[in-house]
Formats: sequence, structure tokens, C-alpha cells
Amino acid sequence: MDFRDKLLSTLKAIRTVLHVPGVMVIGSEVPNLLQPNAASTLVVSQDVDIGVPIGRLEDVKAALTEVTDLRPSEDEPSVWTSANPASIEVNFVGMDPAARDTTDAYVVEDVQLPLLVFGALSLLRPGAVLELEDLEVPLPRPAGLLLEKLLTERVAEKGARDLLVVVGLLVVMRELDLEELEAEFVNLPAELRYAVRSNLTVLSLMQGMDGMPDPEDQRVHIAALLTRLEELEVDSS
Amino acid sequence: MRDSLQTRARRVRTLATIRAWEYRQRNHSKGVWFRLRRVLADAESAFAIPCSAVEQLEQEGFLRESVGTEIEPQKAILFVPAARLEEIPEKRALRVSLDTDFFAAPCVALLRFRCAKHGRP
Repeated sequence: MDFRDKLLSTLKAIRTVLHVPGVMVIGSEVPNLLQPNAASTLVVSQDVDIGVPIGRLEDVKAALTEVTDLRPSEDEPSVWTSANPASIEVNFVGMDPAARDTTDAYVVEDVQLPLLVFGALSLLRPGAVLELEDLEVPLPRPAGLLLEKLLTERVAEKGARDLLVVVGLLVVMRELDLEELEAEFVNLPAELRYAVRSNLTVLSLMQGMDGMPDPEDQRVHIAALLTRLEELEVDSS
Repeated sequence: MRDSLQTRARRVRTLATIRAWEYRQRNHSKGVWFRLRRVLADAESAFAIPCSAVEQLEQEGFLRESVGTEIEPQKAILFVPAARLEEIPEKRALRVSLDTDFFAAPCVALLRFRCAKHGRP
């Protein structure tokens, strides 16, 4: 069984959760799912992040009662695992659309499903619903996800791959997405706007990695995006 | 109370503190790496060139990128159009990267992406 099949099998297993309004697949699997027919050729960790609006926590918990193939891990109940090798881990993370501070993080305590809420996830907006076989997969709009990825802590191999995910998003972004990104960018605090531009320069100089989109191919687009974002800085100063 | 989640939340807040500190440093020495990466991000390609060629380019009006003087050892970094680059036979292609080859070259000519701004001279 290849990774695509595992990913789809896992998403099918949590189908009831994906039906909860506002819930979406987030994180590094999104570019995998956005590939033609969700080919999922990017090498990322074997898990899938599910964004849960904190206002929908009770709905998600109710939906999870119908999930039979996965169980909360003993170490961390926000991570659901399966003994079935056809499944990958599911990480539930909290999204607070009303969060004012995109740099903050806090924990929603819950015995059944505690959630780590990342302020940066408030940048995510509901986007397309991908139809795969008999499954509907809600995804975020690329602009917010790209910004969120550029603001994510980067550590070692995972961090580098997380950043290369941005390349996978740039490939699919259209002019409307870039305009949306600009609109979100200008609303960020100055230090986050700086962090976004700084991480884009890091991405521009990165070497490719096996199984990831080659940043070399997107350097010209990164340069153009940097110029666009800098012009916004000038406009707002 | 889940310790692991609380620990991760604290790490995110710590990162925010570091990020704010880095932002306050952006116009000082610690910001040099961003400025250097920013210059290279606009470069489609990079070449090590003889330092004698830099003198000639400066006489022609080409300007050094100031970030080259902010690192040690200092480097001469100039954006040069493709046609002018063709006239420098001793040039050696470098990867556009902060790698050993780049830092070993005292004089570097860059070819700017067409989409990038600041074209000069």
C-alpha cells in the first residue's frame, strides 16, 4: 500500500469528523492532496493534521464516537493512531478564528480531546472541498496556509521539509491567491511580516530534497513575491 | 493538564519572543544574514569574478551591494547585466547559495531575475 492509499484510508476513517463545519485538513499533507488526483508524492511525515475550530470541539468529539479504526494515543489524546498499518496518525490541532495574536499558542484542556491552539492557524480560511473517490476533504485556502507555513517554527529535517511545502503551494497558487496573501500579509504585525520575508529568502537559497518540490524551479516566483511584499511594506510605512 | 501540549505551547511563545528580538536586531549586525539572503534571492545566477573586473565595473557605474561590507571577510557583490557578464571571460559559475564556494569568492557578480527590482546602473 502506497502513501496515498494510507492517507486516503485514514481520511475515510475520520470521515465523520471531516463533515463537521469548519474542520479542515491542514499542514504538510495539503500540497500532497492538491497534486493531480491527490498523488501524494511529497515526502512528509506519516501523519495528517486536522484543524478543529475551538467552537466546534464538542461536535468533533461527537463525530469521533463514530470513528472505529483509530484511537487516541495513551501519551497524547490529541493524536489518534491505529494498529492498522493502512492508516497514518491523525493530529488534531485547535484553530481559533478570533485569535488576535498569531504568535501565541495555548491549550484547550479537555479529557477526551485536548487541543493545542496555534494563533498562526487563525490565518487559515476554508477553501476548496476536494472530492476524492467517495470522500469530501475540506482544505484551507492556499494563501493563509502559505503564510502559516512561513511562520512555523523550523527545526532540522522536519523544519526544512515544512518550508519546502511552501514551494508545493506556490506551484498551485494563482493571481487571486497571491492577492489574498498580500491582503493577509499587511495585517500581520511587523515582526511577522519580517519573518515571512526572511523565510522566503531562506527558501530561495535552499537545496532540494528527495521527494519534495525543488525550490530552484520556483526561485523566480519567490523573488517576485518578495518584491510584491516589500512594495506593501513601503506602502504601509 | 497535558504536559506535552503545554510544553509545546510554551515553545511557541518562546519562539515569538525570539522572533521579536530578531526583528529589533534587523538593522544591526544580526540582520546581515537576512540582508545577504535578500540580495541573493534576487539573483538568477552568481559568478566568482576577478577583483580586477570589479574595479572596471565600478568605473562603469555598477555599484557594490552594501551588505558585502557587513561580513568578514568583506566581499564585493555586484549585480551585472547578462551582456556585460559575457564580457568577463574569467568568471566561474557559483551556486546561488550561502555555501563554501560563495564565501570563498571575494568578488561575486550576480545576474538579476527580470522580475526583481532595483535594476542598475
